[in-house]
Amino acid sequence: MITFAVLAVVMVVGALGVVLLRQPVHAALSLVGTLLTLAVVFVTLQAHFLAAIQVIVYGGAIMVLFLFVIMLLNLKEEATKTRAAYRWVAYGVGVIAAAAIAVGALLDPRQAPDALAVSEALRGGSPELIAEVLFGEFMLAFQLVGVLLLTGMVGAVALVQRHNEPPRPGTPLADASRRDARGTR
Amino acid sequence: MRAGPAEVVPTEYYVALSALVFAIGAVGVLTRRSAIMIFLSVELMLNAANLALVAYARQWAAAGTLVGITGQTAVFIILAVAAAEVAVGLGILVAIFRRRVSTDVDTLAEVRL
Repeated sequence: MITFAVLAVVMVVGALGVVLLRQPVHAALSLVGTLLTLAVVFVTLQAHFLAAIQVIVYGGAIMVLFLFVIMLLNLKEEATKTRAAYRWVAYGVGVIAAAAIAVGALLDPRQAPDALAVSEALRGGSPELIAEVLFGEFMLAFQLVGVLLLTGMVGAVALVQRHNEPPRPGTPLADASRRDARGTR
Repeated sequence: MRAGPAEVVPTEYYVALSALVFAIGAVGVLTRRSAIMIFLSVELMLNAANLALVAYARQWAAAGTLVGITGQTAVFIILAVAAAEVAVGLGILVAIFRRRVSTDVDTLAEVRL
C-alpha cells in the first residue's frame, strides 16, 4: 500500500509536470519520469513483461524521438504559450472529471483480488502466456499491427522527405538547408 | 484489504490513479497551444488507459479466467500502435514546421475539411 502511494504521488507529479512546465524539454523529461513510474506500477500489477516493454519502447524509443524532434524544431518561445481564455475552463473540467471518476471508483469497494489466485493465473505476466494469446486469439490484430507499422514507416519517410521546391526563406530549416548546401559544395 | 500473505492494493485505487492521470492529460490537450505539447499530453492519456487495462487484467485474473492475460496482450498491441502513431505524428509536425515556422495549433486554421 505504501509502495502504491509513493508511486501514485510520483506519477501524478510527473503528469502535472508535463502539463504545467514551460520548457518543452522539461515537459518531455517529466513524461519520461511518468512512463518509468508506470513501468514500476505494471510490476506491482504482475505484468513484468509489459513493464520491460514499457521501459524499452516508451521510455526508450518513443521519448528519444520526442526529444529529438523538440530539439530539432527549437520551439523555445512559442511553446510556452497556453490558451489563456480556455485555461480555467480546462482546469475546472479536468478537476471535476478526475474527482468524479476517482470518487466513483473509490465509492464502489470490492474485495481486493487474491494475491495467490492472481499470481497463479498471470504467472507474473510471463512472455510465454502473452505469446500464447498474441499468436492465438490476437493473430489478426498482430498482423494488422504489422501492416500499420509498415504504413507508419512509409508515411513518416514520405512526410519528412525534402521536395524540390525550396522551403520558405526565413524559416530556420531553410537557413539550415542553405548551410548544408554550402557545406557540401 | 488483507488477502493472503502479501497486502494487495484494490483495483479501484489503480483505476482512480488512471482516471487522475487521464484527466491531467486532457487538461494539457485543452490548454497547450504548441502541437508537440498537445502530443505529449495525448501520450499521457494513452498511458493512463494502459494502466486501467492492466489493473482490470489483474482483477479478471483473480476471477480465474484467461481474460487477465488477454488484457495485458491488448496493452502490448496498444504500445505498437502508439509507436506508429508517434512516428507519423512527429513526421507531420516536422512537415508543418518546415512550411510555417510555428506549430501553434490556433494558426493552422486552413487545415479543415
